[in-house]
Amino acid sequence: MMTLMRHDHETDESFYKILEIRHLTGNAFSIRLPKARFAFKAGQHISLGIVGGNQSREYSIYSGENEENLEVLIKEVQNGYFTPQLRRLKIGRMLEVHGPFGKFGMEPGKAEKGKFVFIASGTGIAPFRSIIRTYPNIDYRLIHGVKTLEEAYDSHEYEKSRYVLCTSREKTGDYHGRLTGYLKTCTFAPDTQFDLCGNSEMIFDALEILKGKGFSRDQIHCEVYF
Amino acid sequence: MILNEKKRVAFKTLGCRLNQYETDALVTDFSQAGYELVDYNESPDVVIVNTCTVTNQSDHKSRSVISQTARKAKNAVVVVTGCMANNFKEKLESQENITFVVENSRKSSILTLVDAHFSGEIAHPDQLPQDVFRYEPVKKSLHTRSAVKIQDGCDNFCTFCIIPMVRGNAVSRPVADVLESIRKTVENGFKEIVITGVNIGRYSDGATRFEDLLAQILEVPGDFRVRISSLEPDGFGPDFVKLFAHPKLMPHLHLCLQSGSDKTLLRMRRMYDVEQFRKTVTQFRAIYADFNFTTDIIVGFPGETEEEFGQTLEAIKEFNFSHIHTFKYSVRKGTRAERLENHLPEKVKTERSLQIRDLSVENKIDYFNSFIGKTQDVLVEKVAHGVASGYGEHYIPVRFKLAGAQKNAIHKVRLLERKGDDENSYLFGEAVL
Repeated sequence: MMTLMRHDHETDESFYKILEIRHLTGNAFSIRLPKARFAFKAGQHISLGIVGGNQSREYSIYSGENEENLEVLIKEVQNGYFTPQLRRLKIGRMLEVHGPFGKFGMEPGKAEKGKFVFIASGTGIAPFRSIIRTYPNIDYRLIHGVKTLEEAYDSHEYEKSRYVLCTSREKTGDYHGRLTGYLKTCTFAPDTQFDLCGNSEMIFDALEILKGKGFSRDQIHCEVYF
Repeated sequence: MILNEKKRVAFKTLGCRLNQYETDALVTDFSQAGYELVDYNESPDVVIVNTCTVTNQSDHKSRSVISQTARKAKNAVVVVTGCMANNFKEKLESQENITFVVENSRKSSILTLVDAHFSGEIAHPDQLPQDVFRYEPVKKSLHTRSAVKIQDGCDNFCTFCIIPMVRGNAVSRPVADVLESIRKTVENGFKEIVITGVNIGRYSDGATRFEDLLAQILEVPGDFRVRISSLEPDGFGPDFVKLFAHPKLMPHLHLCLQSGSDKTLLRMRRMYDVEQFRKTVTQFRAIYADFNFTTDIIVGFPGETEEEFGQTLEAIKEFNFSHIHTFKYSVRKGTRAERLENHLPEKVKTERSLQIRDLSVENKIDYFNSFIGKTQDVLVEKVAHGVASGYGEHYIPVRFKLAGAQKNAIHKVRLLERKGDDENSYLFGEAVL
């Protein structure tokens, strides 16, 4: 690995300077880093560490494959160890990035041929934004489950007819209740491919619903968040 | 470097098949360089401890072996390598009873480091080249079977697992290198080759996936058989099952289920569910009715309810694993599972572990009994007091009497009865001449 000397500490190709922090809600934010030569497939995740720290966490990439920046979407965990530190970081600080990792996302050549239903809870929307920005002509329907309207991160970017917001704590979304409640009411074409990203409970329940509707497990792809 | 004065080297290995392979490759290296292989009680000049860190218990065992070794081989150069060396590098480097701490990625160059040390050079492990596939094919070995490493590292990030942090990202050895290594290992006289790596199902070299590589390995000329080490249930395609019709490929897979509960599997961030696992087992047994499946199970994963544990017991009965490697869940620092809620008391984990052990023994006895009256081709690993012992094609331990039986020979054996304690059962038979 190429080694460079920058500032007062040794850095290498894994070190990225924070370019921008977008505060999306009271506790959710995105961090933009220079993409440079970092190559990834939409849907993959990276490992992020704070330079000088001893821990790292994995985050799905929030930006598209061909964009100038590499962006991740983060929700601060109350009383957590890592995300409060991330949130306090200023523009110009260095982050250590490893990856990309994972097989979640589009199989080569499939994105513009199939019908996709993306099912996300909370920040689990990140890989789907990356996929949609990478494949603008993709035939998708995005079902996003959150507690309140403010968690509909960057929802204005999606075509209204393709995006369904399910809000469980208030009646501000397209559907009032958990996304699994909405899912039960849906019908899908038999050849639909499903991609799920979010916490394990949501994924378990959604899997049961989809299997109950007759879809094969091979049509359903999951990325578990915590 | 050929040594003027013959130095003595001892090895201690903990953990997985991959570690065993890497030790065997180092044994070959040191042997070819003129070192004499001795036990660590026999005043070695160098002791190499290849450690494991997959559970708390592995850490404990590794620490204990390091202390014991350093105490017994007082004046020896003590080299600590393996996954624990990655996980606790700084701590181990500060220990006075350890001469060198060598990370996994530099393990293949330990001979260079030790030679340099004995030549009076100031050497540091961090100066060694990083190459996880630099190992020579095994010639001199501590085992009858030789492994060949095709892959290293893992990107799955299962929530309980420290391995991606200590073995690094998934990397695959080029096809040509693998095939060359197989050829040379066969030339070196090994009759059974174990295909190994951290997550071998994720093998990928250009368009060549795991089953494509395996198909090519089976076509390497020579009198040898092939066994697959531990495999994840989600990394192979539909042609994989067909390959087992090849006479060289042994009908046994250690397919890691980890839990029989879909909820637990999701919390573990495993990439399959029980139904998919069932599909695989069914496909195999539809073609090869007596196919041997063994597995790993983690008990007491955070949040595992009685119901979820019950589903694991049901799965064990259904899939009829002939052996289960049971791990009581233990926290690995820096993993996602460390941050999960509802960690279970040790007592619960122990109780559940015992239940699985009992089931495992029942399954083993049933499975072994089903082979009585059949024949197996047994690779002899040991001959003592006129009794040869080794493993048959299905990885069942077999013993038989045969005058003049030789280690590393394959004999056809008719299986007559099951003997030994429940957990240490084996089949006793007679050679078919």
